[in-house]
Amino acid sequence: MTTHRRLGTAAMLVAALVLGACGRDSGGGGDAAQPVAEGKATGEITVWAMGTEGEKLGAFAQEFMAENPDAKVNVTAVPWDAAHQKIASAIAGKQTPDVSMLGTTWMGEFAKTGALDPTPEGTVARGDFFPGAWDTTVVDGTSYGVPWYVETRLIYYRKDLAAKAGVSAPTTWDELKSFATAMRDKGGTKWGMNLQPGGTGSWQSFMPFAWSNGAGLADGDAFTLDSPQMTEALAYYQSFFTEKLSPPTDLSLQGALEQSFINGSLAAFISGPWHVSLLTDQGGAAFKEKFAVTAMPRKQSATSFVGGSDLAVFKDAKNRDGAWKFVSWLSRPEVQIKWYQTVSDLPAVQGAWSDPTLSGDPILATFGEQLKDAKSPPAIPTWEQVAAVIDGEVEKVAKSGTDPAAAAKAMQQRASGIGTGA
Amino acid sequence: MRRRDLVARVGLYVVLGAGLLVVVGPFLWAVLSSVKPEAEIRRIPATWWPEVFTLDNYRELLSRLDFPQAFANSAIVAVLTTLGNLAFCSLLGYALAKLRFPGKRALFLVVLGTLMVPSMVTFVPQFVMVSNLGLVNSYGGLILPFLATPFGVFLMRQYLLSVPDELIEAARVDGAGELRIFARVVLPLCGPALATLTILTFLASWNNFLWPLVVATTEDRYTLPVALALYSVGQNRIDYGLVLAGAVAVLLPVVIVFVLLQRHFLRGIATTGLK
Repeated sequence: MTTHRRLGTAAMLVAALVLGACGRDSGGGGDAAQPVAEGKATGEITVWAMGTEGEKLGAFAQEFMAENPDAKVNVTAVPWDAAHQKIASAIAGKQTPDVSMLGTTWMGEFAKTGALDPTPEGTVARGDFFPGAWDTTVVDGTSYGVPWYVETRLIYYRKDLAAKAGVSAPTTWDELKSFATAMRDKGGTKWGMNLQPGGTGSWQSFMPFAWSNGAGLADGDAFTLDSPQMTEALAYYQSFFTEKLSPPTDLSLQGALEQSFINGSLAAFISGPWHVSLLTDQGGAAFKEKFAVTAMPRKQSATSFVGGSDLAVFKDAKNRDGAWKFVSWLSRPEVQIKWYQTVSDLPAVQGAWSDPTLSGDPILATFGEQLKDAKSPPAIPTWEQVAAVIDGEVEKVAKSGTDPAAAAKAMQQRASGIGTGA
Repeated sequence: MRRRDLVARVGLYVVLGAGLLVVVGPFLWAVLSSVKPEAEIRRIPATWWPEVFTLDNYRELLSRLDFPQAFANSAIVAVLTTLGNLAFCSLLGYALAKLRFPGKRALFLVVLGTLMVPSMVTFVPQFVMVSNLGLVNSYGGLILPFLATPFGVFLMRQYLLSVPDELIEAARVDGAGELRIFARVVLPLCGPALATLTILTFLASWNNFLWPLVVATTEDRYTLPVALALYSVGQNRIDYGLVLAGAVAVLLPVVIVFVLLQRHFLRGIATTGLK
């Protein structure tokens, strides 16, 4: 008996410690943005950036420091692997840097902790950015950061096999279906189109179809996952699996996506700009002539997914004004082009896309075109959980033939149980 | 040797060989693939022996990272953490196993209790504490929270229970103080347990990723696993060549420590459960 009581006391003590540590007052919403002081940036600006961005940004910022001789930019590179955990802990321990790069789907969660500084008027102009990218920074009507670079999803397809099959790039839903069928039946491929059959992140593969069909994820604080448009999109997605056009196991999980595409057993897949270099690395330079990209097919619209990263300034920043000035500098069109040339990140600022570096490349230009019609999920703190629900239902629809209407209903029910965190 | 013995022996080696292949195979593939170009690593069906031998993965790793600094950080943290555990866990283990004092049972229960709390639960509160102590981005912050572990205390206590009381009493009769008994009589008997504790602590510290990632806020404090993760895994793509080269670089020191202490380690594991 005494043993139990003692253990119980110990457990309660631990619980109290944990709860006490989580007691940070949550703000978010209704934050008023303070203006940034005029003049040049001064003092030390600490920046966290992930992976290659973190590796190159320090040297890249030399030019900013030349313009602002009294400012010093210190960049720490953070591994992508656990960057989310690192930033979450830093917020809890009040050890945040001045500026950090944040994944676009993290904005809702971190803004809700009250740790992010609202974007001040006059630092950047909202209209300069792709609207879908800007939306990733907006939580409850307030912007908490600035898009830094973007990526969107297109259809990669084998040009040479399409010619053999006598089809051209699909532009509508019906054409995409007949395109995939022709590629399989006449183009000699095993699979006409690779759609992700569930698993983590399959919502990114599925949602473009839902958005293109007029379905949305949420309206205000309520999810709208069981709309007829959503059901129709799920049914269309499912048909690629029932008609054996799309492989039932995830090729990319096996690391086989690129190889299947290169050896001609897969005719097409949906992915972002990084696949251009993956394909030419693995298929050889000559393979570049054999594939092309095309925009998402049109239903009501031809909408794709927009991802990438935003830059956010923390409320605890020691050098808030300097931080915003640095963010503002990174958002200049000419700096965005230079940044593209440094690390191949696609500019989030629309004005940068008129530069021949980007507009002169047919593949990049297609990405630029698609970015004008690209959406992101709502910036809500519970998004990762809701995404997991969508991933799960997409998997049931694709793999075990679950009725699309039932899946949409299940999505809505489980997502509503999780809530928007508002 | 009789015929039947020979058959049995051959059979045994076949079974053991198959087991060895399953256990060592993936490691072998990782080591061999770390010297292949990216396209060959991803090829299906996979190749074993590199068709194209290249040290580019290692070269890139070394040129993009401050490898000596990260290695030194890892070594400092792992060695000091291990020394701390050896000292504190054996002291507390000794007290819990052999000394009589009020509250001993309760103390042991607290140790056992903390053993059951998953580390993810205490992660953020622990970071807040380290932050309040002003130890963020210091070796102190990297080492202090791991200087003594409940598992180590438990391990040492269980082992020390098997040391005969008569030895300690004899030393006491001869007039030795408690610390002297501990250092001269008890510790020399703990070889296997200390070796086990050394390996487990060193491994845990060496491989620790999340804590150093969060506590180190500038790259010159990154430990090896954190630094190696920097450029291999991107937002949307993974560079397998870098991942494998990094894995081999992290693995080597651990393999060396294990080989050096292997004999003690096996004995330690075999005896700790016994009483």
